[in-house]
Amino acid sequence: MQFWSLMKRDVLVAWRKKSNLYQPLVFQLLIVTMFPLGLGAGAQTLSKIAPAVVWILALLSTLITLENIFKDDYEDGSLDVYVLSGMSLSLAALSKATAHWITTGIPVVLFAPVIGMLLHLPGHAYGILMLSLLLATPIFSLLGTVGSALIMNIKNGGMLLSVLVMPLLAPVLIFGAGAVLETTLGNTAMNHLLLLLGCTVLSVTLAPLAAAAAVRINLE
Amino acid sequence: MSLALKPGELAVIAGPNGSGKTTLLEALAGLSRLTVGERQYGAAEHPDDWLANSHYLGHKLGNKANLTCAENLAFVAQMNQVTCPQQDIEAALEQAGLAGHEYQHASDLSAGQKKRLALSRLLLLGKTYWLLDEPFVNLDHAGCDWLYAIIECHVQQGGAVLLSAHDQQRIHDLADHHITLQPI
Repeated sequence: MQFWSLMKRDVLVAWRKKSNLYQPLVFQLLIVTMFPLGLGAGAQTLSKIAPAVVWILALLSTLITLENIFKDDYEDGSLDVYVLSGMSLSLAALSKATAHWITTGIPVVLFAPVIGMLLHLPGHAYGILMLSLLLATPIFSLLGTVGSALIMNIKNGGMLLSVLVMPLLAPVLIFGAGAVLETTLGNTAMNHLLLLLGCTVLSVTLAPLAAAAAVRINLE
Repeated sequence: MSLALKPGELAVIAGPNGSGKTTLLEALAGLSRLTVGERQYGAAEHPDDWLANSHYLGHKLGNKANLTCAENLAFVAQMNQVTCPQQDIEAALEQAGLAGHEYQHASDLSAGQKKRLALSRLLLLGKTYWLLDEPFVNLDHAGCDWLYAIIECHVQQGGAVLLSAHDQQRIHDLADHHITLQPI
């Protein structure tokens, strides 16, 4: 009940602040147009780097949205409302991560084929691209919740957040981009996808606990 | 210092800026941990009941800027697991002097109106213990009168209020307990 209320509120707040919704997508679009300009428009070169670039862009565009997951609530005091409601903080963190995933993760997954197309990603890799991002975007949101909880009372903590979260996301990038790359080479992506699924399960179970601890530390 | 607050009582914390009024209230509310001293509950109460029976309102009001007044109240009610139909929310807003602002975003309210919106939660949630940090700040005369009225009414009905205030002689006259903090 509290889980849904908090999630619904976060989705509504994000929906009202439209710039939050399209910021990651505009960011991706701007950067992806630079690649043909910098590398030369050869379809072969582009399609070779496409799996890595699509993935890195998805990762970076999500990264710029993470800071505010807890920070906004901390600054306007609505964090106090749910901390004092007696709701489990881990559940609150899971709820906030879910809302972030709905408003940032899903658009990134749906937008990935567009970015892939602009980079001449081979046609048979789109399914795996979306599947790998579908598994990975919840990890971005969940680890982002931990990072955001750690830096919520720091002004301009965005850089610190990136430094904290990026190393944890490196394996996700390796497995995710690896899955797409293997597919473009005609190999099976199953190993990579299973490892990615493992990361997803691990972060769903552990990240909310870490985020709750981080919130507690920052309130004391 | 030591304080025993029983239902039906009003306690006022006074003290200069930086003397720790907010810190004390936050610790008592359960937001931060007490580093020195302890907080005891009534014999019949479990510590978990404290959160369910108390409401803390600090300097940061907790209104979401781009939610409407009614949505803000509904969210707080849901988080506190209080079921309240739309007419209860409208009644609370009307009492707080915000009739007609139900569908206005909290960011469009004046500072005093934001405070009124936050205070209207007290009416909606019906908790026993109110912990209010400088509740009179930003309120106009009518707002202060309204707040005095609801505090008096709440105390008479068996509620307990602990608040911090400056220069509010009237609240000091009403109070059962006075606490004065000094900066260390």
